[in-house]
Amino acid sequence: MKGTVPLVKAHETALYGSKAVGLGQAMRDGLPVPPGVALSGAIVEAVAAGNDRAIKQVAKTARPLGGPLAVRSSAVDEDGADASFAGQHLTLLNVPSSEQLGAALSEIWWSANSDSAISYRQRVGLFTRPSVGVVVQALLDPESAGVMFTRNPINGADERMIEASWGLGEAVVAGQVIPDSYRIHRSGEVLQRTPGFKKIAIRTLPEGGTFEQEVQPELVEQLCLDDGQLAALNGLADRCEQIYGPARDIEWAFADGKLHLLQCRAVTRSGS
Amino acid sequence: MTGAPVDALQRVPLFADLNQRELKQIARLFKRRTFPAGETVVQEGSGGAAFYVIESGEATVFVAGKEYSTLGPGDYFGEIALIDEGARLATITATSELGCYGITFWDFRPLVEANGVIGWKLLQSLARMYREARAG
Repeated sequence: MKGTVPLVKAHETALYGSKAVGLGQAMRDGLPVPPGVALSGAIVEAVAAGNDRAIKQVAKTARPLGGPLAVRSSAVDEDGADASFAGQHLTLLNVPSSEQLGAALSEIWWSANSDSAISYRQRVGLFTRPSVGVVVQALLDPESAGVMFTRNPINGADERMIEASWGLGEAVVAGQVIPDSYRIHRSGEVLQRTPGFKKIAIRTLPEGGTFEQEVQPELVEQLCLDDGQLAALNGLADRCEQIYGPARDIEWAFADGKLHLLQCRAVTRSGS
Repeated sequence: MTGAPVDALQRVPLFADLNQRELKQIARLFKRRTFPAGETVVQEGSGGAAFYVIESGEATVFVAGKEYSTLGPGDYFGEIALIDEGARLATITATSELGCYGITFWDFRPLVEANGVIGWKLLQSLARMYREARAG
């Protein structure tokens, strides 16, 4: 059965979804994307249907990644507009190993076929059969993570806007903390750094899943990025803009002292 | 094994008159889904994505916030919103871990269109509900 490729070989949006193809392109362009595999919408559906061959195939494909795994949906739709389904389709962080992938994929398939996802589709006029590809990657255990706009999305100013917090970036994306915020000129000059109020960090559990860890009091208002890390993020913003064009929305993480790119997509709203 | 076990579907009144070949055909369209106790399975007013057959466990049906009935193995729910593409008429909550087989709108509609026996059973079910509603 076809439908599983190393992330670096994910080329076809109609098979693997826009997130998988975007990350595959980033790997081909030499950006620091964690290793992973892309699963097609068809194989995800076969796994959800209990097809033993498909279940064994995805487990075998993902086994070299070790564990734990981050399992993210990558919507496959006629316009390839994964962003339009943001929040509708499930992401499962910290799936312990490839042997548990079948149950995770079934959950993700059902998230795309849930009542709330179908209500959303009816509302936005996309009442078509959902197909959901999946990206499986080795899960990072980041010291810090967050989001970055390569251009100010509010006023269009030519500056990087970064939000950062301790642990996994989901705390920032889901608004569970007041993150540190930074503005950097593309020359690298730091224009502003404002500590946030980061009372919790999202961490991984040994048995799978995540939990909210209370942050040590002295770290709650301490900046979580130093000058070297800000320079690395500015460099990543440069590379992403060179490859994909201006105004990118980036998810990133620092783990084991290295910067990783988790997602890079076009900014959907801009004041300019 | 892909889909739902044939004997699980055979116990469902909606499919009881189908022969083994027909049952095998439709069993392939179902996917297993488990809901933990306490989880809302469908929400009144929401759009409907799937029709479910209960394999194990129990669920409670609420209409306008009032308890209406209890569902168990062999019972089915969710067909109305799939037929008229309208909102869910009831909220259903898993009272114990609920094992279901679900079929989505995109497989359910062609199934009913192609199978008059299932279509007739659905009509009978809807007629019964209409009489019950009229009787108050």
